[in-house]
Amino acid sequence: MSRHHPKDTTLADFAAGTLDEGRSLVIATHLALCGQCRGFVAALEDVGGAMLEQIAPVALSDGASARVLDRLAPRSLAPKAPTAPKIWAADRDELLGYRLGPWRWVSPGLHYRAVDVPAAKDSRVFMLKAAPGLKLPSHLHTGTELTCVLAGAFIHEGGRYGAGDCDDADHDDAHSPVIDAGEECVCLVAMQGQIKFTSILGRMIQPFIRL
Amino acid sequence: MPTVVKGAKSSADLAALIEAVAADQDRAAFAALFDYFAPRIKGFLIRGNTPPAAAEELAQEAMLTVWRKAAQFDRNRAGASAWIFTIARNLRIDVARRDQRARLLDLEVEDDLEQPAPPDALLLAVERESRVQAALQALSDDQMRVVRLSFFEGKPHADIANELELPLGTVKSRIRLAMNRMRELLGDLT
Repeated sequence: MSRHHPKDTTLADFAAGTLDEGRSLVIATHLALCGQCRGFVAALEDVGGAMLEQIAPVALSDGASARVLDRLAPRSLAPKAPTAPKIWAADRDELLGYRLGPWRWVSPGLHYRAVDVPAAKDSRVFMLKAAPGLKLPSHLHTGTELTCVLAGAFIHEGGRYGAGDCDDADHDDAHSPVIDAGEECVCLVAMQGQIKFTSILGRMIQPFIRL
Repeated sequence: MPTVVKGAKSSADLAALIEAVAADQDRAAFAALFDYFAPRIKGFLIRGNTPPAAAEELAQEAMLTVWRKAAQFDRNRAGASAWIFTIARNLRIDVARRDQRARLLDLEVEDDLEQPAPPDALLLAVERESRVQAALQALSDDQMRVVRLSFFEGKPHADIANELELPLGTVKSRIRLAMNRMRELLGDLT
């Protein structure tokens, strides 16, 4: 059961289809793990449906209906698309259809893997894997950072974030996360702008992962 | 079997038409859906700044998708209009970016962490629709306007600020308050 959710406006942008692809991937991952937010997105889609009914119709050209009817191909009565398997597992190299790069060592206890999101021009999408008890360097953002926890948990100023939780952070939020003891923590992150580490360790990491 | 209802408007009628397309490849039902939704989808796309000629093409494309995917419609999960809105929205994303984002909104994934809700706990789409209608009534006119522009028409905040002649900060906070209100009123729906 998720306890930390994306901002309402982030879910609304997702449901509207205006959220960039990298952040959409993080939200889709959270939704797969959070029935509450799925319900809200479904309600927003109902809002879209209600607005679609109320909109002033704009007539199509003459004969458009007949032309489309001519194009209707007989359909095989295929069953529904099969449900996808688990969204993510440690031994898989894809996430919701996106290819994952190899895990790379960043610093003691910290690994990083890129997520191949071709259209994520203004955001970087990656996974982080951190050892139990690890203190991540304190950092600030110049843009937004959207995180979904896939396994384990971390704790920072905003509380404890466990599997399924989403951290929808603005540029003015400062973070110094600590990984929960007992289990390694895997997160999916979409980050816009730059990350600014405030510690020496952080500045050492920075060029390495090009954050 | 459901028969074609000319000028159908009720949610149940529209759902029955989609189900007729799904079950029987009912062309008359499809034609009725086309007459009702294609001009609305065209209007939707034009509002979102798609040029009219492209909107005309895309509206037809959306209706072909309705034909192809009709079997995926489930009236217990989504209202007919909401389902067709998602098709039009996904098409708008495809066109805007030619990327895979639309696919993310269309995913059916298995819950990893949660037990599925027992059937009696699932709120029927029709109940959700009426809750949504009530929630929309609860928004102020100003809030409704920004929700329509930003959520439905997909316009950037800066364009909305221009259109409404409001400071950008006002637009952002108004959208935020409207969405917080929606979440308050609808957040318990799962």
